[in-house]
Amino acid sequence: MSTVDATAGWDRLIEHDRVHGSLYTDPAIYEAELERIWYRTWVFVGHVSEVPEPNDYVVKSIGPQPVIMTRDKQGEIHLLLNRCTHRANLVCDAPRGNSSAFRCPYHGWTFSNTGRLLGYPFNSGYDGREAKRELGLGRVARIGIYEGFVFGSFAEEGPTLLEHLGAAREALDRLVALSPSGELDLSAGWLQHKVKANWKMLVENETDGYHPQFVHSSIFSVAQSGIGELYGEESTALSRDLGNGHTENDLRPEFRRIGQPLGWFGTTPDRVPDYVAQLEAAKGVEQARELLIDGSPHVMLFPNLFIAEIQLFVIQPLAVDETVQHVTAVQYKGAPDMNRRMLQQTIGSVGPAGFLLADDSEMYERNQRGVHARSPEWVVLKRGTHRERLDEDGHLVGDATDEVPQRAIWRHYRRLMEAGA
Amino acid sequence: MSGATVNRDLLLEVEQFVYREARMQDEHDYDGWEALWTDDALYWVPANGDAIDPTREMSIIFDNRSRIATRVKQLKTGKRHAQAPPSRTRRVVSNVELLDGAGDGGELVVGANFVLYESRERGVTLWAGRSTYRLRPTGDGLRMAYKKIELVNNDRAIFTLAFLI
Amino acid sequence: MGVGEVVSEFAAVAVSIDHEGNGPRLRIEDLKTGHVGYLDALELETLAWLPEGALHPLLDPSLHRWRKPAPNGGHH
Repeated sequence: MSTVDATAGWDRLIEHDRVHGSLYTDPAIYEAELERIWYRTWVFVGHVSEVPEPNDYVVKSIGPQPVIMTRDKQGEIHLLLNRCTHRANLVCDAPRGNSSAFRCPYHGWTFSNTGRLLGYPFNSGYDGREAKRELGLGRVARIGIYEGFVFGSFAEEGPTLLEHLGAAREALDRLVALSPSGELDLSAGWLQHKVKANWKMLVENETDGYHPQFVHSSIFSVAQSGIGELYGEESTALSRDLGNGHTENDLRPEFRRIGQPLGWFGTTPDRVPDYVAQLEAAKGVEQARELLIDGSPHVMLFPNLFIAEIQLFVIQPLAVDETVQHVTAVQYKGAPDMNRRMLQQTIGSVGPAGFLLADDSEMYERNQRGVHARSPEWVVLKRGTHRERLDEDGHLVGDATDEVPQRAIWRHYRRLMEAGA
Repeated sequence: MSGATVNRDLLLEVEQFVYREARMQDEHDYDGWEALWTDDALYWVPANGDAIDPTREMSIIFDNRSRIATRVKQLKTGKRHAQAPPSRTRRVVSNVELLDGAGDGGELVVGANFVLYESRERGVTLWAGRSTYRLRPTGDGLRMAYKKIELVNNDRAIFTLAFLI
Repeated sequence: MGVGEVVSEFAAVAVSIDHEGNGPRLRIEDLKTGHVGYLDALELETLAWLPEGALHPLLDPSLHRWRKPAPNGGHH
């Protein structure tokens, strides 16, 4: 494909209903994305339940940046860069641990888990201690926590986390509302599934209601799954632009039409009686029934957090053509019978050997190879342009299989890239 | 089990079983491979270490017998895109050891290492790890009641693993 | 009497209750060097009540362990 000069203007690459293939392949565009999206906007980093105890820490990331998420002795969460301020060694090597301080293995520089430099060996080699204040670990400029979801932004200023989440907040509320304790426990560990594809291939696919009947027909047919029909021509489900690049497949119209509690999870209340009783105790029988009919959200929070009902994906770009999907099972704190089922269904569905995600990932890599073709140069995102409409909240919606979400993602992307120009 | 007590005939039978399984996997003999399992089988590829609790933590594969059947059925649809076309694979299984079980009708615990080349459009991917089998003698020869595969890189980002490991 | 090992990527110690003295004390062995230290009940109680950050000065590597010996040889 011919290379289009990105400096000529993002409007030349991103039109309303088609985008240029070079957006997935041009290393210069990828570098620009790191600066204008990954190192500027709010990016999901981790969940507070991954550091449940004082002085717990986990090694996480913001794109290619290595980040340590810590909980200090007071319970406060910090996002520090995993880089010694002395000679740049990685301070933490273990994926998780419990320590009030980190000691770099290279020369022994020691930092508190809030990032403060506590000291270094043989301090007579330095002429004074005053420089210590400037030599604390780098930190992600802003940290925001919503319902236990920890986001970081490298930009000192900009929209607040709540402004960034906007209407997508409601999806997180819906997710948490299904936990009888009102809390999630995301400590089952993450699978790391690597693909040779651009990160936007993944973002676009997460709320693409057009692909399931094709990409996933093999597992739908052998498992007698009804998921395929949710994304059919007859489906009353909606695709929705939630603003700020956040998008969802809203399956509630279908689940409400069917009216079966836990139908969204492919089970019935009698299979998870303890969980249902707990939820009824917490919310009341009527509201619990509504929650169990509506089910869990299917929402992509731009740029990197995908909630797929009972799974949570974090998208991590590593290069223009290399991306890692981190995935774990949603677990409701204190609901063991439901958690067992959600964990086992997640293990079956996702990750490198998953019945669903292995096939999605094959598509990502095939897309990435295909988009290098010289002709045609454009990716077509026209589906449903003639029937998209505003819902009662003023959000743009389309039919279940329409490309409303993909167009929404690119509109937001273009705004961010133009803002950084 | 010390080397001196190894029953050579038994070890030979075990080795032949392990090699046969490897060949069926490499040649995508899905029905033949499925028939190697007992009815109560467990097929496990842990993630983030080898000693995790698969009932509370994420695994790469944690299949009971019914899910093994689903896996095979999905592969046989021909629309399992991650294996359509199937990966070309060849694996070398070695260091086969009888770790436990005297062969008196009880289960045999067998350990082995493997190195595996996988070729797909993406390129060649090298896989390596250790397998632990529980093999049960039946009137029809040995059957797999349990296979655990500890990938050396199960704590890192890995490519799609949709062929039979 | 062994209690156990406390290990992180930064340090590894074995802790046990030592009964060689007139009263029990906590024995801490640095597993990387074999160096041993002791803490008595009052010292441990004090540690339990330490406010946030009070240990930070002690975590400075130069404080005791990695420093040039004092001119009078008082430090080891």
